[in-house]
Amino acid sequence: MIAWESKAAKPYLLMAPVVAVIAVCFLLPILNVLFLSFTEPTVSLHNYARIFSVPLYLRVLANTFKNAALVTVICLVLAYPLAYTLVRRGPVIAGILLAAVAIPFWTGFLVRTFSWLVIFGAEGPVAGVMRWAGFEPPRMLFTTFAALWGMTHILLPYMVMALYGVMKRINMQQIKAAESLGATPVIAFWRVFVPQSLPGVINGCVLVFTMCLGFYVTPVLLGTPTDMMIAQLIGQQVQELLAWGFAAALSVMLMICTFAILAIYDRFFGLQRLWG
Amino acid sequence: MTDRFSRRSFIRLGTTGAIASIAAPMVISSAVRAQNRTLYVNTYGGDLEQGWKKAYCEPFTKQTGINIKTVTPVNFAKLRAQVQTKSFEWDITCMNITELTQAEVDGLTETIDLKIVKDVPKSIIVGNGIGAYNLGTTLVYRKDKFPNGGPQSWADFWDVEKFPGNRCLFNRPFTCLAWALLADGVPKDKLYPMDVDRAFKKMDEIKPHIKVWWTQGSQSQQLIRDGEVDMIGMWSARAANLIEQGVPLEMVWNGAENFTSYWFLPRGTPRAEIAWQFANFAAQAEQQANFTKLLPYGPVNPGALKLVPEARMKLTPSWPANLDVSFEHDAKWLGSRLGGIRERWAQWLAS
Repeated sequence: MIAWESKAAKPYLLMAPVVAVIAVCFLLPILNVLFLSFTEPTVSLHNYARIFSVPLYLRVLANTFKNAALVTVICLVLAYPLAYTLVRRGPVIAGILLAAVAIPFWTGFLVRTFSWLVIFGAEGPVAGVMRWAGFEPPRMLFTTFAALWGMTHILLPYMVMALYGVMKRINMQQIKAAESLGATPVIAFWRVFVPQSLPGVINGCVLVFTMCLGFYVTPVLLGTPTDMMIAQLIGQQVQELLAWGFAAALSVMLMICTFAILAIYDRFFGLQRLWG
Repeated sequence: MTDRFSRRSFIRLGTTGAIASIAAPMVISSAVRAQNRTLYVNTYGGDLEQGWKKAYCEPFTKQTGINIKTVTPVNFAKLRAQVQTKSFEWDITCMNITELTQAEVDGLTETIDLKIVKDVPKSIIVGNGIGAYNLGTTLVYRKDKFPNGGPQSWADFWDVEKFPGNRCLFNRPFTCLAWALLADGVPKDKLYPMDVDRAFKKMDEIKPHIKVWWTQGSQSQQLIRDGEVDMIGMWSARAANLIEQGVPLEMVWNGAENFTSYWFLPRGTPRAEIAWQFANFAAQAEQQANFTKLLPYGPVNPGALKLVPEARMKLTPSWPANLDVSFEHDAKWLGSRLGGIRERWAQWLAS
């Protein structure tokens, strides 16, 4: 009766509010989605059978993961040197660079997507510079390149922040110590700095990858119809066709695939690294 | 209940009733004002919402004292959810004929109250919906790219040798399939029942020449305004808006798609009475004309046609010469087939 007063129960008591919020706002809706996928419009496995019988859905699902992986790699390649510069330079340069990363972050992503329509447009500045330099500009808009570029632009700040947060805590004296013990700057960076920054890399990659899976407006506006991502099909099922059961089944498939990837990742790298 | 209903209150009630019945009109109108009632109107946002506010909402509030709050966006899934859960975020919406037909089939519409909706011509009432305006989707081309005259039909749009240039279409299957059939020589009154296989076959021809498929109205405007594409199938009001801004565009009404939108109520809304009052008000000639003067959508109330300047009317799908060459979809035929068509379309597009 007075168990809640005992020392062992107290941490759980403190957790109660967050558990309640997660249960109501997260677990219940997901269970409902799971339930709908088996019961709408009739109790059957029909919704899942349809995913596997119509080639479109598996192809779009595969394409979604392929695009998300590409965007994650591009973000990492671009963000790593940037974050490294942020921690190595003085506060003024770091401040300016951080602002440059953060300001687009505060702009609506639809606005940012539309701005690429102008920049990459047939009459836009990039094409203008190319013509001035004597090249006939290739088609940039409505290509897979533009779709990946637009998504990278939107997700890059997340990668930079994840890397910066971890790199900031790395003790730079250790690199100096390595160099004083005979390591070249490249070896010191590779063997001392990079391993310590890995939690940030992993954290950033998982963040960008999972966020990218849910994208759809950007690839639709900038890419080709073959760049279609699964979220668009789910949205279409709910809003246009009102096929909530099938939309739920597609969502469950997306979730299962995401979990499978995280499980493989956990098997080889360990998910606990996510938390630094 | 019985305790509280004392003899005194009974007398008071009786007296009030007697006074009310003598001075009914006055009492009711002041009661309406006093209660400060609010109607929730479902809107599309953007320019369209601003137009509704000026032409319908503000004058309605002025006349009746009923406040209006607007709720965006218009979404069929939301309509169904509201009726099923009986919690109403909005009391009246405006959707096109295919959506209205679907809503009627699914029993999602409130039965029309003809005692309130009494000032509207019967010809614009369909089922439980009251005609609001016509929306056109037309072939539009850039005059500067085709100085000697551009494509005049969907057959011309399909003719990439005679009319070279970047092309763009609306990513909405039944619209494109109807255009494909027109391009293939099907007369506009023979589009339905639709030969879907034939339409897809014709779409195969044009697919490699479509630079981009638009999905949002603002996107279609940006594409043609910036010269990204030279010809496009787009909403007429959006094109008219660009022409008024000075973009050198020509609208081709031949083979245009005409959609009528209807006001209707989600079944069971507690504010049905004032919602029907609003619909009755908005569907009158004067209000429809005022709306068309603000935005070039076509009025459906025949009385409105005379109240709008001719130059303006010609930009709308309701202009008789435009209506004559436009086609309408068979919403009943599409109904149950729409899901399959959309799936096939998505698959066709992504391959």
